[in-house]
Amino acid sequence: MNQLALLQNALVVGAILFSLGLVGILTRRNLIVMFLSAELMLQGISVSLVAWSRHHGDFGGQVLVIFVLTVAACEAAVALVFVLQAFARTGRLDSAAWQSLRESNLPRRVDRELPAVDTVPPTFPRLTPAGVLPAADENDLLQREHV
Amino acid sequence: MIAAALPSPGVILAGAVTAAAVSLWLLLPRGADSRAASWLGGLLGATALAGFVLTGRRLGGLGEEAVFLIVSLVAVISGAATIVSRSPVYSAIWFALALAGVSGVLLVLGAQFLGVATIVVYAGAILVMFLFVLMLAQPAGLAPYDRVSNEPLLSAIAGATLLGLLTLSIGRLSADPSCCQMPSKAAAMAAGTAGKSGDDVKAGDAIDSAIATDPLATDQVARLGGELFGRHLLAVEAAGVLLLVALVGSIAVVSRHGDPSGELAPGRRAAS
Repeated sequence: MNQLALLQNALVVGAILFSLGLVGILTRRNLIVMFLSAELMLQGISVSLVAWSRHHGDFGGQVLVIFVLTVAACEAAVALVFVLQAFARTGRLDSAAWQSLRESNLPRRVDRELPAVDTVPPTFPRLTPAGVLPAADENDLLQREHV
Repeated sequence: MIAAALPSPGVILAGAVTAAAVSLWLLLPRGADSRAASWLGGLLGATALAGFVLTGRRLGGLGEEAVFLIVSLVAVISGAATIVSRSPVYSAIWFALALAGVSGVLLVLGAQFLGVATIVVYAGAILVMFLFVLMLAQPAGLAPYDRVSNEPLLSAIAGATLLGLLTLSIGRLSADPSCCQMPSKAAAMAAGTAGKSGDDVKAGDAIDSAIATDPLATDQVARLGGELFGRHLLAVEAAGVLLLVALVGSIAVVSRHGDPSGELAPGRRAAS
């Protein structure tokens, strides 16, 4: 196998994953999706490190990726606790709910009006009804119609 | 010939990066979504991916190329879907698929332990934690803040610029062969010449390290463990302390229940 070609292709994959994560963490406003984007950047870094490790023929890069995994687990645990606390205070997973922490000379972000329903409605598979209609369940109110 | 009809790799890369930027801008949530924008964005994204595939180096064997192409395409497409999905639950599921692709890339690169550990640790533990938080905190339906983005155009341009610069510098790697010679091979060759002068032990060591990351070696994981617990033992201990601190800290923070005054939350006051 062409070692240099393998290194370059893997580095390009890592670069694409890192850039995607960067765009995600810059644009998305949901705190959970922002953390998922950060994890995507970590995946890009891992691919690059393992590619260099393979190319140089030692285990340094792989050992570093193991520690990246460890720190990512710690980071996710602590960060998700903070996300839960933020949700408990504001009732939203919105990063713009904390814009009172901005610099005093920056303008406030105001959301424009959105159409009430999605113009692209989600489509879900429908099963053909069969058998007898079961009795109504009061627990139905607890269920969500969509995610 | 076909190769002569293609533009130069630099032109293809520039076009692919531009297409990726426009595609991300079209696909990111911008309030009013239209079907035409998502179709056009998907088409441009496929064009960008085709550009990257065209400029990729040949690996040699057809089977290796096919496997690498499939797993990296899975990783990249699911990664893009992670950041453009409106629903955070779908984002998390797409991220799991991206993890599967990344794990495949790691396996192709010969990191067997890491390929499995990525699936087990990320998809098995971290992602489930994300889904639990979503279950606790996500309101039903699409929230307004999931349907808009912060500055999608500028961010897509920033990401594409970074990607273009990175791929440019990665492509330059081949131009200067002295930059990235395998030290093990160089050492093996140097030791081979030195071995003629009687230094056989060093030659044996160099060949030993040259096969250290052979993906087909049966004891590759054992070697990785030896390296981890031999040369990096102190770092392993530090990582253990870090895990303990994260565990204790997250439990301490979450059990205070978001009460700034330090009093017990209403439900707990009734219980105590």
